[in-house]
Amino acid sequence: MIRSLFVICPTLLIAVLTLYGVGEGEPRADFRYVNPSEIHTLDPVRMSWTQDFRVALNIWEGLTVWHPRTTEPIGGAAEFPPHVSADGLTYTFAIREDARWSNGDSVTAEDFVRGWRRAMEPGTAADYAFLFTDHIAGAEDYVTFRRQAVSTSMSPDELDQHAAMLDSRFGDVGIDAINDRVLVIRLNNPCPYFLDLTAFPAFLPCHQSIELLRERYGNLPTNSRALVVYDTQWTKPDYHRNGYPGLITNGAYRLADWKFKRRARLEVNPFFREADTIACRTIDMVVYDNISAALMAYEAGDVDFLPAMNVPYDHELARLSRTGERPDFHICVVLATYFLNFNCTMPVVGGRPNPFTERAVRRAFSLVVDKDRIVNLVLGRGDRAAYSFVPPDAIPGYDPPTGLANDTDAARSMLAEAGYPSGKDFPTVGILHTQTDERVCQVLARMWEETLGVRVELRSKETKTFAEDKADHRFLIARGNWYGDYSDPTTFLDCLASGNGNNDSGYANPEYDALLAEAAAATDPADRFALLRRAEAIILNDVPILPILHYAEPIAIKPYVKGLYPNARLWFPFRYVRIER
Amino acid sequence: MIGLLVRRVILGAVTIACIYTLTFVMVILLPGNPFQQGERNMAPEVEQALRARYHMDDNWLYFQEFLTGAIRLDFGPTFTYSDWTCNQILASALPVSMLIGLLAILIAVMVGVPLGVWSAVKRNGWLDNLGLGFVLMVVSLPTFVTGTLLLIVAAVQLHLAPIGGWGTLAHLPLPALTLSLPFTAYIMRLTRASMIETLSADYIRTAVAKGASRRTIVWKHALKPAFLPVLSYLGPATAQAMTGSFVVEKVFGVPGLGQHFVNAALNLDAGLIMSTVLVFSTFLVVLNTLIDTLYAWIDPRIGRAV
Repeated sequence: MIRSLFVICPTLLIAVLTLYGVGEGEPRADFRYVNPSEIHTLDPVRMSWTQDFRVALNIWEGLTVWHPRTTEPIGGAAEFPPHVSADGLTYTFAIREDARWSNGDSVTAEDFVRGWRRAMEPGTAADYAFLFTDHIAGAEDYVTFRRQAVSTSMSPDELDQHAAMLDSRFGDVGIDAINDRVLVIRLNNPCPYFLDLTAFPAFLPCHQSIELLRERYGNLPTNSRALVVYDTQWTKPDYHRNGYPGLITNGAYRLADWKFKRRARLEVNPFFREADTIACRTIDMVVYDNISAALMAYEAGDVDFLPAMNVPYDHELARLSRTGERPDFHICVVLATYFLNFNCTMPVVGGRPNPFTERAVRRAFSLVVDKDRIVNLVLGRGDRAAYSFVPPDAIPGYDPPTGLANDTDAARSMLAEAGYPSGKDFPTVGILHTQTDERVCQVLARMWEETLGVRVELRSKETKTFAEDKADHRFLIARGNWYGDYSDPTTFLDCLASGNGNNDSGYANPEYDALLAEAAAATDPADRFALLRRAEAIILNDVPILPILHYAEPIAIKPYVKGLYPNARLWFPFRYVRIER
Repeated sequence: MIGLLVRRVILGAVTIACIYTLTFVMVILLPGNPFQQGERNMAPEVEQALRARYHMDDNWLYFQEFLTGAIRLDFGPTFTYSDWTCNQILASALPVSMLIGLLAILIAVMVGVPLGVWSAVKRNGWLDNLGLGFVLMVVSLPTFVTGTLLLIVAAVQLHLAPIGGWGTLAHLPLPALTLSLPFTAYIMRLTRASMIETLSADYIRTAVAKGASRRTIVWKHALKPAFLPVLSYLGPATAQAMTGSFVVEKVFGVPGLGQHFVNAALNLDAGLIMSTVLVFSTFLVVLNTLIDTLYAWIDPRIGRAV
C-alpha cells in the first residue's frame, strides 16, 4: 500500500507536469515592462490608477494625446489644433480621416459622443464624471437628472418614460457630432486646459460594438433598472457573447491577450496610421506584486522597464540615481502632493471636541512640522518638501505661493493663544492613516508631542475603511494624497472648494470659492493664474490641509531602451520606444 | 465503509453551509464601500445604485442570490477587478495553486516519510540529529525568508530558474520547493514519532524473534500503522497547500489563489471573499472525507467502529 503510493505519486507528478507543459513556447515580446499589480479595469471611464491609464492610453487614442516628453497636448485622433471660438467656449474637432479602429472601421465623432456619455452615466460608476460636469455645458443637469433617476425606484411605465427622455436630455449636453468627422464641444466657461483633458482616459472614444453588450432592464434588479450598464467583460479581446467581436480600440496598439495576474500582451494595431513606423511590435505587461522580485527580474534582463520601484530600500535606489552610479534609475517628480487633512467641519469627533475647527490650532500644528527632515532623513527617496498644495515647477506659468515654514516657537505661542498652553487640556489627537504612512505619521506624532506637549495616537486602518472614515469626516487628522489629473492648478485647488466630493477636510470658505469661480470665468490666462494663486494663498494661510511633500517616483529604464522619457505624469507611450542593444 | 462515506458527505455539506453563513455575516458586517476605486470619494447616489444592482442593499436577498449562484458554480462579479468574474479568477488561480500545492505535498511526502523512517531507525544517530536540525531550521524560518533565499541563490546567482512570474515549467520548482519545506518538516517529525512508537510494539518484537529482516520489519510491518497519523495530517495539509499560500505567491509572483484570500478581504470584495472561502472549505471537507475513507481502508477497525 505505502509502496504503491510511492509509485503513484511520481507517476502523477509526471502526468501533471506533462499536462501543464502543453501550450508553452510563446516568443518573448519586443518590450517587457512590469505592472506592480493587476490592471484594475480597462474600462476607460472606470479607471483611476496610473498603471491602468498606461495600458489604456497605449491601446486607445483621444482627440488629443500627451507628448511623450513634455506631456503637453498634441494631435491624437483629431486634427490639431482644433478650432476654438473667440470666447473660448466652443471647440470644433475634425476627426482625422485616417483614424481607424483595430478592426479597420473609421473612428467617427459619434464614437467620442458614446464614450463621453458612458463616462457620465452613474451605472459605470465613473470617478471622473466631474470632469464633464465641471466643464461641458449641460453636463451637470444631465448627470443630476440621471443620478436622481437611478436613486429612485420606478415602475415599468416610469422607466419607459425616463428611457424615452434620455436622448433628448442628452441633446442638451454640449457634445455634438455634426457628422462623422466633426465634433463640437460647448463649455460652461473658458477652459485653457481643455485640450489636456481630451487626452485623459475618461475622454476616450468607444466603438459601437459595445452596444451589443448593453444590459437590458430585464436583467437588472427592479430597484436599479434606470442604470445604463454594460457587460463588464467588454474589455476582453476574446469575449464574443451576443456577437460581440471582442475589444476594439483605436490606439497604436491593440490588446491581443490578457491573462489575469500574469500578463497582458499588446500588438501593433495594423490599422493605426503610423503602424509601420512603430519599432516595438509586441509589448508584454507582466504583473509582479512583489516589486523586489520585479527589480531582480529587471537586473537579470527579464524585463526592460520598471515604472515603479516602491521597495523598502527605495531611498538607496534614489541615491544610486542621484550619484550617477545607476544612470538607468530615474527619479520622476510627479504631479502629486502628500498632505494631512485637518477636520475643519465637525465640532465633535468620536465624542471628543475637535480643536482643529480653529485656524490658530491648525496653524500651530503646521508650524511644528519639519518637512525637510521628513523628506531627507525619513524617506530619502527624492521627494520634495511641500510648502504649497500645487507642486511648484509642475504647471507651466503657475508659480504657487509659499505656505508656512517650520517655526516651533511661533507654534507654541499660537497654541497657547488658542487656549492650550503647552498642550494643556488638548484632546488626544488621532492621525487616521494607512499602513504605508506609518513611518511619516510616527515622525509627525513625535514632532507634535515634543513641541506642543499634546498626546498623539496613530489610527492605522485598511484602505477601504480608511477611505470611508475619511469621506465621513471621522477623524481629527487624516492622511491625504492627490495626483493631478491635468496640467492646471485647479486639479488640486478644486478639491478644497465647499461641497466638493473630495474635500475631506470639510473646509468651506466663501472667499476661496469666489476666487475659484472668478478664475473659472476669466479669459486671460495670466489673470486666471493670478486669481488661482490668491486662492491657494488663502488655503495655505487657513491650513485646512498641511502639505508634507510632493512625490518623487523612482523608475528604471534599461540603457538600450530609447524613446521612453521620465515625466511628471508617468506617461509612457510605447509607440516611440526603440530597442538599441 | 459506505455508511462512513455517507455520514461524512452529509456532515461535510452541513459544515460548508455553516461556513458560508458565518462568512456572509462577517462580510456584511465589514465597514467600507466595496465599489470605491482608489481614494476618490464616490457620489452617494452612484454607490446606492450599485449596491442595488448587486443586491447588496438587501442582505437576505444577497445571501440567497449568492448561495443559488454558488450551487450552480456561478460566484458572480468581483468589485476590485471589475473586468473579471469570480469564476474567471478562480479558474485562473486555482489550477496554479493546485499544481504548486500538489507538487509541494508530493515533495513533502517523498522526502519527509523516508527521512522520518530513517531518523526513527537510527534514533539519536547523526542522521536523526541532522534531521532534527533541518526540522528546527525549516520551522523557525518563515517561507518569505526561505523563498527569498532560494530566489536569490537559485534564480539570481545560479540562473537555474526564472525570477518569479508564471507561465513555463521552469517557474514551478522554486515555489513548490519553498511551499513544501514546512510540510516536509512536519511529516518527517510525525513519521519519526509514530515509527518509534510502532517499532517498540509487541508484534514487531515477534517479527524480530521470528527472524524477519530489518528491511521487512521497517517497511512492511512498521510503516503501515506508523503512516496513519501522517495520512490524517495529509487531508488538511493538502487542502492548505493546494488552495495557495499568500507568502509564497507574493515572493515568487505566482498568480495563485492564496493572495485572493488576503486581498479580497482587504478590498471588501464580498463575492471573491465568499467564493475563495467556499472553495477552500470544500477542498478541506472533500480531502478530509477522502483521507478518512482511506484511513478506514488501511485500518478496517476504524470503518467497523463507525
